[in-house]
Amino acid sequence: MKKIANLRSAAVKGLEYLLTVNDVKEAEVFVAVNDRFVARLNYTSAISCNGVQELKSDYSSGVSVRAVFETKEGAKIGFGSEDKQTSLNAVKRALIKARKVAVADPHFKSLPRPIGSVPTLKNYHDPEIMKGNDGLLAGQAWRVLEGALKTFQEAGFTERDSLSVTGDITVLREQIAIASTHGIVDCDQSTILMAAITAMIEEKNSKGTGWATGTHFTQFDAEEAGRMAARSAIDTIGGQRIRSGKYSVIFGHQPVCALFTNLVIPCLSLSSAMLNTSPFKEKLDQLIMAEDISIYDDGSLPGRMASKRITCEGIPTGRTQLVDRGRLVGLLANSYFANWAGDSRFVPRNGFRFGGGGRWHRSEPGISATNLVIESANPVSEEKLCKKVGNGVFIGRLWYLYPINGSGSGDFTGTVVGDSYLIKDGKIANPLQPNTVRINGNWLELMKGNILGVSGEQKATLDWAIEEIVLAPQIAFADVELEEIDVLLA
Amino acid sequence: MKEITIETLDLVKNVAQDLITDWAMKFQGVRYADIRIEASEARSAVALDGNPVSACADWEISFGVRVIAGKKMLASGYYGRHLGTFDLKKLSSEIKAGISHARQRALANAQHKLDMKERFGSLAGSLCDTILAPVEIHRAAHQLPFLTDPRQVPLEKAISEVVSISKNIQQIKEVIANEVIFEGTIIRKLFLSSEGASIDFTFPITAFMPFIITRTEGEQRSVIYDCLGDFAGWEVMEGQNVYSKDARTFTLDLAAEAARLSQASILPSSEKEVVVVTDPHYNALLVHEIVGHPVELDRILKWETGYAGRSRLFKSFGHHQIGQQVASPLVTALSDPTLLGFGYLPFDDEGVRARKVVHINKGILTADFLNSRETAAVMQAMGMAVQPNGAMRARDPIFVPLVRMTNTVFAPGDRRPEDIIREVDEGYYFKGCSVPSISESRENFRISAREVWKIEKGELTTLYRWGSISADSETYLKSIDAVGNDFKLYPIPNCGKGQPMQTMHVGNGGPTMRGRAKVVGGDMRRGGAA
Repeated sequence: MKKIANLRSAAVKGLEYLLTVNDVKEAEVFVAVNDRFVARLNYTSAISCNGVQELKSDYSSGVSVRAVFETKEGAKIGFGSEDKQTSLNAVKRALIKARKVAVADPHFKSLPRPIGSVPTLKNYHDPEIMKGNDGLLAGQAWRVLEGALKTFQEAGFTERDSLSVTGDITVLREQIAIASTHGIVDCDQSTILMAAITAMIEEKNSKGTGWATGTHFTQFDAEEAGRMAARSAIDTIGGQRIRSGKYSVIFGHQPVCALFTNLVIPCLSLSSAMLNTSPFKEKLDQLIMAEDISIYDDGSLPGRMASKRITCEGIPTGRTQLVDRGRLVGLLANSYFANWAGDSRFVPRNGFRFGGGGRWHRSEPGISATNLVIESANPVSEEKLCKKVGNGVFIGRLWYLYPINGSGSGDFTGTVVGDSYLIKDGKIANPLQPNTVRINGNWLELMKGNILGVSGEQKATLDWAIEEIVLAPQIAFADVELEEIDVLLA
Repeated sequence: MKEITIETLDLVKNVAQDLITDWAMKFQGVRYADIRIEASEARSAVALDGNPVSACADWEISFGVRVIAGKKMLASGYYGRHLGTFDLKKLSSEIKAGISHARQRALANAQHKLDMKERFGSLAGSLCDTILAPVEIHRAAHQLPFLTDPRQVPLEKAISEVVSISKNIQQIKEVIANEVIFEGTIIRKLFLSSEGASIDFTFPITAFMPFIITRTEGEQRSVIYDCLGDFAGWEVMEGQNVYSKDARTFTLDLAAEAARLSQASILPSSEKEVVVVTDPHYNALLVHEIVGHPVELDRILKWETGYAGRSRLFKSFGHHQIGQQVASPLVTALSDPTLLGFGYLPFDDEGVRARKVVHINKGILTADFLNSRETAAVMQAMGMAVQPNGAMRARDPIFVPLVRMTNTVFAPGDRRPEDIIREVDEGYYFKGCSVPSISESRENFRISAREVWKIEKGELTTLYRWGSISADSETYLKSIDAVGNDFKLYPIPNCGKGQPMQTMHVGNGGPTMRGRAKVVGGDMRRGGAA
C-alpha cells in the first residue's frame, strides 16, 4: 500500500494539471490502491484436501479522470483510467482516454459537488493490517479450521462422520484520494476483515454457519467463527422434514440480510427508480411497508465493517433515511442520479466504485448501500418473537433468494439450507433438516401486511458477493409458503 | 509512451517463460509454478432511453501466479495483480515479486498444514500434499478467426448503433425504459508453466445486451433482457450469431415480446404436475443449473460447500450415482469446448487440452465430470480412472481459476419440436429463460421463463407472464419423454462462482424437450389475474 498523503498529493497535482487544459470545463481525479487477500478453506474429513485450499490476493492501483469537455457539439462527459501508476503522466494518459470516449449524456448535469457536511470518521483503519502481513493472515485462516476441529473433537466427532469446513477469510485494504474542480479534495483508507464459514456433519445431514466481521484484528476472532459454524452443525443434528404449506416463519439475521440485499435494496436505489425498474418510482411519502418498520443506511457508523469516511465521489458519508415508519422517504443515491432526479430529498451519500477488489479506479461511481439498518418501533426479544409465532419455523440460512419474476414484481423464491429449527408452542424445538424446504413469496406483501414482530437485537450480517452489511434483526412473518423438496441422496 | 496492445505479450512471453521455468524453480521447496498473463483491448458503449450514457476504449494487462511448494508437505500459494504501461520497463521485477509472494504463501500454508496434521491426528488425516494430475505438456499458439477485428470498429460506430437501437425501441408504446449495452473485446492469454507448457490463445468476444422495461397491468414493472454474443468480432452485431439476427432486429423482436407480455395475464399455479414443453433457450438455463453445476468436480468434492453448494450426484465415494439412471434414456448431456460459442477453448488455464466430455449418457451418469488437475488427482488417488479434461478458467489472471462449464448442453434428439407440442392435449410451453433459483446441491429448481403459453389440443392458445417450472431435478429429468432435433447453443455471459466472485462466459443450450412438473405463477394480488 502507499502513504495516503502521497495519494492525496497525486490527486491534487493531477487536478492542477487538468485546470490548465483548455477544453476541460469540469474535472475529477480519483486515485486508488486496493489489496484483497483471501484464504479459502476446504477441509473434508473423508476426502483428501488441503485444509486451506488457497492463499491468494489481487492488487490494483491506478488513477481515473472524469471530465466534462467543451466541444463543438456541446458539453460531453468522458471517463478514462490508467492502471498501476498515479503520477502526472498517468493522469495525462487517463485524460486522453476520457476525451476519446466522451459522450453527450443529457441526464448528466455536473460532477459531484460538496453537500455541506463534513466527514465524521477518522483514523478508523487498522495500521497493522494496512502494513500487510501474509504470515499473519495465513495464520488466521488456519485458526478458523482449528476452532472448528476442536469443537468437533470435543463433542466426540471423528473423521468417519464426514466432517467438512469450507468458506473463507477476506481481508481488504483500500486507499483512495479524490480532487475535483468543485472543491472536493479528500482521502480515505479502510481495512475490512470478513469470515464466512460453513461446517457440515454430512453423515448426520446437518450444517452450520459461522462468521466474523471487523475493521481491526483485535475485533476479529477467526477461531470463534470456526467454532460457531461447528457448534451450529452439531446443534442441528436430527433435523426433521416438514410438509408443504403456509407457516409462520422467523427470518433469522442471515435470511433478513439475504432478503434485503437481493430484493429490497435494489428497489430502494434511485438508479432503479430513474431507470423504471423499481416498484417505488412514484411512491415517495407513501406507505410501502408495515408502519412498524424503519430503514436507513449509514456509512459513517463507527466500528462497522462497511463504514467509509467519504464516498468514492468525495462526499462525506452519513445517514440516509429510506423508510420511516413504513413510509418511503428516501432512496440511495449517487451524484449522477441525484442530479438527474433534481429532487433535494435525494442526497448522494452512496456513490461508490466497488469492483476489482475494493474501491476501483476503473469503475465509475454506482450506487451501493453501506451499513443498512433495519429497526422496529416496537422491537421484542427473540424469545417473545418465538411466542408470537407459536408454531412455525425459524429459518437461519437462506440460499439463492432471487426475484423470480423480476425485481418489479416482488415475487421471490429461495431454499433453506441450514441453521434452521421448528418452533413449537412458542419455543425453538427440533432442527429442520437442511436443504429440504423451498420458500416462495412476495416480499412487498410480506413486509406490508404479514409482519408478526421484529427483534430488538441486530447483527451485522453479510452475504456472498455483496459489499454492504445489513444490521439485521430477526423478523417474524405470518402465512409464508414453504414447499417440501427432494433431499441429496437420501 | 506506447499503448498496451495484445502484441505487448510478445515482449512479456519470453521474460515470463524464463522466470517460471528457471528462476522460480531455483528456490528451495518449490515443486511447481505457473503464470497466466492476459492482455485485452476493448470497446464498449451504453445507451439509455435513446441517449448515450458512457463509452470506453481501453486496454488491460494483468497476471496471476501459482506456486506449489513446501518442505515436508506441499501446498499452493497464489498472487495476482494488474499491470500498467509503466510496468513494461520493469516487468521482470514485477513478476519476480509475484512469484515470491506466491511462494511465501505456499510455504506458510504447507507449514500450517503439517502442524495441523500433527496436532489433530486422524481428524486431520485427510490433509495431504497438493498434487496435480500429470498431463501432456503442450506448446501451442492459436488465434480464433474473425471477420471484423473489434479493435477496428470505430467507437463512434458502436455509440451510434446502441443509441439508434435504443431510440427505436423507446418508441414502442409499452416500453417505459430501456438500456442497451455493447462490448467488443480481443483477448490474448498466455499460460506458462515450470513443466514447459506454453499456451498462447487469442480470441475476440462480442456481447450485446438489451434490457427492456415495460409497465404491466397493475402498474408493475417487468424487465426482459437477453444476450447476443459470440467469440467473434462485429459480425455478431450484423447477424452472425445463434439467432441469425442483427442487433437491431434482435432487440426489436425482444421489445415486441416485452410489449406482448406486458398485456398478458400472470400464470396461475398448478396444483399438480402438468405436461411442460421447454424451448432451447429455457433449456440453456436448465442444463446450466441442474446438470452443468452439479458435474463440476470441485463442487462434487465439497470445495464449494460454503458458497455454491454440493452436488446432488455425489455424496461420497461410497454413495454416489455414477453408473445410475439419473434421467430419462432420451436425455444425454455433455460439455463440448470445441463448439464455437462462449464456452469454446482449445486449452484451459492450466494448459490442459480441453475436450468433450459426456456427463449423462442416455440417462446414465458417467464419471466424466468437469475437472482440474488437482481435482482429477483426488479422484485418481481414490482409484478412479479420471484424466484432466481442461475445464479450469479464470475471468482474469488475477483470480485463481475455477472448474467451469465450457459449452454444456443437452444433446439433440430426433423429434420435430412442432410435433412435440402437437402431441400435448393440455400443458404449457415455456419459452425463453429468465431467473433461476436452485437448491443447495441442485436437487430442486425453480426457473422462470420469459413467455409461458398454454397448450390446448396441440395448439398454443393463451400467453402468460411470470411463470416458472418448479421441480426436483432428478424427477424432472426422468420425466422427459420427447427430445427435439432443434439444438441451439446460447451465450451466457455472466456465470458467477467463487470467492472473490468472478463471472465467466459459458455456452449452454439444447433442443426442445417435454416433461412433467408443477408450474408456479406470480402473486395474483399484484394484478393481471387471468
